[in-house]
Amino acid sequence: MSPLTFKLNIIPEFTLDVSPLTPDKLLAKSQTQIKKINLRYGKQKISVDKLFSISGDNPENIKFLGSTEKLICIGQNMSRGNIDVQGNAGNFIGQYMQGGNINVQGNAGSWVGNSMTNGRIHINGNVDDYLGAGLPGDPYGMSDGLIYVSGNAGDRVGDRMRRGIIIICGMAGDYCGSRMIAGTIIVLDKAGKYSGFGMKRGTIILAKKPRHISATFKSCGNLKVQFLRLLFKQLSEMEQRLTLFREYGPEAHRFTGDLASNGKGEILILQTIKTG
Amino acid sequence: MLIKLSGGTVYDPVHGINGEQRDIYIRDGHITRKPSANVKISKIYDLRGKIVMAGAIDIHTHIGGGKVNIARIMLPEDHRNDPVSKTSLTRSGCGHAAPSTLTTGYRYAEMGYTACFEPAMLPINARQAHMEMGDIPIIDKGAYALLGNDDFFLRMLASHKDQEAISDYVGWIINATQAMGIKVVNPGGISAFKFNQRKLNLDETNVYYDVTPREILITLARAVRELGIPHPLHVHGCNLGVPGNMQTTLDTINAVEGMPLHLTHIQFHSYGTEGDRKFSSGAAQISEAVNANPNISIDVGQIMFGQTVTASGDTMLQYAGHWYAHPNKWVVMDIECDAGCGVVPFKYSDKKFVHSLQWAIGLELFLQINDPWRIFLTTDHPNGAPFISYPHLIRLLMDRTFRNDMLSTINKKAASASILGSLDREYSLYEIAIMTRAAPARSLGLKNRGHLGAGSAADITVYNDVKNRETMFTKPAYVFKDGELVAKNGKIVKVTNGSIHTLRPEYDKTIERSLREYFDRYQTVKLDNFRINDEELLSHGYDRINIQPCA
Repeated sequence: MSPLTFKLNIIPEFTLDVSPLTPDKLLAKSQTQIKKINLRYGKQKISVDKLFSISGDNPENIKFLGSTEKLICIGQNMSRGNIDVQGNAGNFIGQYMQGGNINVQGNAGSWVGNSMTNGRIHINGNVDDYLGAGLPGDPYGMSDGLIYVSGNAGDRVGDRMRRGIIIICGMAGDYCGSRMIAGTIIVLDKAGKYSGFGMKRGTIILAKKPRHISATFKSCGNLKVQFLRLLFKQLSEMEQRLTLFREYGPEAHRFTGDLASNGKGEILILQTIKTG
Repeated sequence: MLIKLSGGTVYDPVHGINGEQRDIYIRDGHITRKPSANVKISKIYDLRGKIVMAGAIDIHTHIGGGKVNIARIMLPEDHRNDPVSKTSLTRSGCGHAAPSTLTTGYRYAEMGYTACFEPAMLPINARQAHMEMGDIPIIDKGAYALLGNDDFFLRMLASHKDQEAISDYVGWIINATQAMGIKVVNPGGISAFKFNQRKLNLDETNVYYDVTPREILITLARAVRELGIPHPLHVHGCNLGVPGNMQTTLDTINAVEGMPLHLTHIQFHSYGTEGDRKFSSGAAQISEAVNANPNISIDVGQIMFGQTVTASGDTMLQYAGHWYAHPNKWVVMDIECDAGCGVVPFKYSDKKFVHSLQWAIGLELFLQINDPWRIFLTTDHPNGAPFISYPHLIRLLMDRTFRNDMLSTINKKAASASILGSLDREYSLYEIAIMTRAAPARSLGLKNRGHLGAGSAADITVYNDVKNRETMFTKPAYVFKDGELVAKNGKIVKVTNGSIHTLRPEYDKTIERSLREYFDRYQTVKLDNFRINDEELLSHGYDRINIQPCA
């Protein structure tokens, strides 16, 4: 069985909400039924067959070809299966996601993994603001799962995040891990200002020393943080590209904070393993 | 322009018309007598087989004022789950528990309601409340000013000012805030909460002012009577939601010594302490007391299962209830010298004993209070349930089989603790017409609303006669507001503004001297800016001001 493929035939001018095209919702549908699904395109509702050409038959694996940043809400509420996006993706990818995998080959917009409760999201490009956060007014953001970003991330990564892991291979913007309730954020390049602003608990792991650390974080000096070994080992099993355990050891500079909020969170600045 | 509503089955309790076929004529927004034969009729609606009633009136629904706005801000997910899109006529908004102003108006009108009264307008928030209510389209609005916990009143009471001075103050408040009545919430209790008291019974004293809720109730009830305000004092009593508060409610009924009193959302005040869970129904005793005291009127405040939000001025109770907030976020705040405000989201579940019993107690009250002229249909929107559940409630009252089916789905222990299953009463359409139209209009002193006699405003709702009363009351065939067709088959066809109902009781203007001094010293606004004049009121979006007569 080949993956159910949606090839975008137009260049969308407005945002196109593709939240009805998830493995859960398409599982029991025939191709003619899928063609008749109405999608919100700007102000209007348009059926799938006017926008996409469809091929393949396995709704457990969905593929979007020629996707642009106008496609929003990809994989919203999905709980199973895989979605593969060839091209860029818009805002709200994997919003309220409960399980399954989403792969994006290009860049993604804001609110990736917004309030997701489980599952995995891989972004091969950059992402915008509010990665793994929650919508304004929500008590918490991402509450489990894993988000992996190969490129850079915007501001407010993991805002009010409650559980789960976010890995950013590039740089993170300002307010990384702001108001974090718990969970883990790993940034392998520089992070912006005010990392961990208002965080209550949770761990922000920075591979490079940031330009700025808030005054409400207290330095605890260099420590051997043994759980890092376990974490890195486990991550390398989940994701082959992550060979952190080769570069970074258990030693890290630990800051606790945010003392203005609760003070049980930590920022760990990793030290490279000295070889030879 | 003359409109004829031809051949509908009319229920008009004010004129004793119980399901008779009548023609109704509308001219210039009012109902008129049958015109002479040579007058040209511009439009005829054929209503044969349809049911005609006056437009419904909701006597107690939180649709404006600060607390609703707080609920809106606090519950974005509630709005996200119920978006309302724009049509060529109506504007966009959002719905469910704390709907946007526009959606409130549309949904009430679509359900056949033509007048709604906001029960808790804090005098200091009156301007905001009127602005919000002015935005609500189609329906008529009105509000009760909230007194009984404000510093000025309690000072007067503590220094033993005579009744006349207090009545003048109440009269001044009604005039200054353009209110339609007086409400008291947890008399003295909101103020006591500020002085660290966490409960206040009817005869307990407020530690700071040394006054009891009983004194406050009696003084305000007297003031309302002396000023000739048609609607009796609207009382949200002490100990709301506390098991065993039934006794407090009975004491409150006895306390007023025959003066008229409206006890609001009485379901929350009818709890006993029997049984294993120390929580039982006091509906039988309360109903007996209401039946025996013709000076008492009530509205029920029925709860319905599902997510909602409780918004109340009663900080004492809201603080006590915040442990049960669902989702877990809440606000309890102080509002200047006036009172307070608490907003706690709440989810009533039919699996839980307490919630199930609350549901049954509300229905027991409906079915055991005999006089429909003194009991009004409310869910205390949004505290018990959003107002969109009214049709479901009507079906529960009118259809015993349906009610018993629902009873079998709730918590088993609660169902067996309640006598609901043994109550056979079914409301008739005539009784529903009384409790949702005629009685509220009479209680509020609205002379030209709530009936279909000549001279009345042409607020008319026409229903399809469907066996399932829920469908029938959800989507009326036609809704006329001031003679204009505003909704057809449950869809808005014309958007109007609606008017405001107010009162102008007479009082002694010299009270302003001491008030001015007080305002200069303690309040955040000057006295002259506090007052809302007619010109300003109209600028907030009301079509016109209906001044209702005082006795």
